[in-house]
Amino acid sequence: MKPTLDSSRDIDGKGPASSKRPVRYIKWLSLSLMSFMALMVLIIYEARWVLPEIQTYFSQSGNLTGQQLATRSRHYLQDAQARLLDIPGPEERAAAITDIELAYGLFDVDVYHQHYDCTSPSLSVLDETVTALENNNVLPVILARELLDPIACLTRIEMGQLDLRGEAINSFSDRTRWHNQVLIYTSLLIFAFGLLFWWLHDRQLRRTEKATQETLRWMERAMRDPLTGIGNRSALHQDVMQQEQQSLGLVLVDIDFFKQYNDTMGHPAGDALLRHLVLLIADALPEEATLYRLGGDEFAALLPCKDVDALGRYCQQLHLQVQQSAFSHAAHPNKKQVTLSIGATCFIPSRVGFPRAYEAADKALYQVKTAGRDDWHIIAIA
Amino acid sequence: MDAAVFKRCLRRSPLAQWALGAGIAALLMPVASVAQTLRLIDGDMVKEVDVEQLRQSSDSHFQVFDPYQGENVAMQGMPFAEFLARHFGRVPDKLRFTAWDGYEVTLGGWDDPNWYLVTIENDKPLTLRSRGPVRLVEREYGDRDVNSLREFNDWIWMIRSIEARG
Repeated sequence: MKPTLDSSRDIDGKGPASSKRPVRYIKWLSLSLMSFMALMVLIIYEARWVLPEIQTYFSQSGNLTGQQLATRSRHYLQDAQARLLDIPGPEERAAAITDIELAYGLFDVDVYHQHYDCTSPSLSVLDETVTALENNNVLPVILARELLDPIACLTRIEMGQLDLRGEAINSFSDRTRWHNQVLIYTSLLIFAFGLLFWWLHDRQLRRTEKATQETLRWMERAMRDPLTGIGNRSALHQDVMQQEQQSLGLVLVDIDFFKQYNDTMGHPAGDALLRHLVLLIADALPEEATLYRLGGDEFAALLPCKDVDALGRYCQQLHLQVQQSAFSHAAHPNKKQVTLSIGATCFIPSRVGFPRAYEAADKALYQVKTAGRDDWHIIAIA
Repeated sequence: MDAAVFKRCLRRSPLAQWALGAGIAALLMPVASVAQTLRLIDGDMVKEVDVEQLRQSSDSHFQVFDPYQGENVAMQGMPFAEFLARHFGRVPDKLRFTAWDGYEVTLGGWDDPNWYLVTIENDKPLTLRSRGPVRLVEREYGDRDVNSLREFNDWIWMIRSIEARG
């Protein structure tokens, strides 16, 4: 007795409003996901690029500029100086020359030439010292003393470079602090946007569900008869369509002289009679039967039909039950109680189609009416 | 003995002249032999490669801005990956470098055509003074700032030995 609705068709939504809804729904969801993705990208960027840059500034061991070139150069000059002060033999002199050559290579750097005016004179001193050592025409101790000026220059460079590095680190530290603040606030902002978009998405989802439920309710109402609560003609069509392969019994029921009943008893009483009869028909037919109101006093029942005999037994039972109920009908021309005319047929929708089955049941009903009403008849479809 | 007396003695004695020449040559010998070979180590195999030979096989010429010298220089060398393939039979995963100035470092990623082993600069053989005798440099810098030496701290100077690791 409950018409089944095809809810999937309603949820799909073919109307213009529902076609716009998914677009809006996707927008909020996308924006939310994009926000969280942006946050992830920011974190990855931070880990992949910014941290190594910090490491470049603060971890300077194990590479070419790990220790200042000037420092390394000074160490070589001091080694050479120590060798020269120690009354060097040929091998020591050669080692001193190598030390000075190495010191020269580490000293002769453009950035030192640019910023420290003692660089070029110091390199000249180194050059002259090497020449003197090769020629062995100057006392080593004198050459050792000559190296003092380049060493002093290198010390000056070291101090200067340390200052520069300190300034660079301070500047970098300031930039890092600012960067961190921007990062924190940006992350919070993006996170907040992500949450906002997610909330909007969730709200949209809930609204969509609510609208769908509302549509479903309206659709259900549209398929029901408001007076009796059973399905209407549309529901009957839909139910038949859903059981196309099954053998179905279609029973049409007409209340005899219902117009006269209304005229005599009044329409409220007529409505009450209709509701009573619905209960009675439902009680007389098997549980699987579904009832529909097709018009003023015309009902239909759809039920599984094993064979025509079984359908006949249900019709007979319905007819008898109405007789036994003895609803009073003062305007009935023959009797003083309500009677029904019943026409039925058995059919498989996919084979004969509903219109033909309806025509057959209606024809059976018509035959009962023309034969004097208060009876039932079945027409089998060939 | 002052210098004038020393000169007079030399003029009178050809033997003394020869002895002095031999002495100076002997003194200079250790200096001349410094930094003339590149040692290659691969497990138990140790090979000394003559730097002069390397110079002769340096047939790649290119101009590059040397950030340490602050000017464009004409470099001459060979692709480092090719050098490794020729001497090690492969490009090892990592290499341990030791420089004449005692600097040591282990680095990987040498299967890169951008790295060159340079032996000659501005038509002059690299020496310790010019951060040679062999030096590893990059031919292209990409978008790195040539004014920031920190960006070029993986250049390796004064290479004394290269040891294959892996």
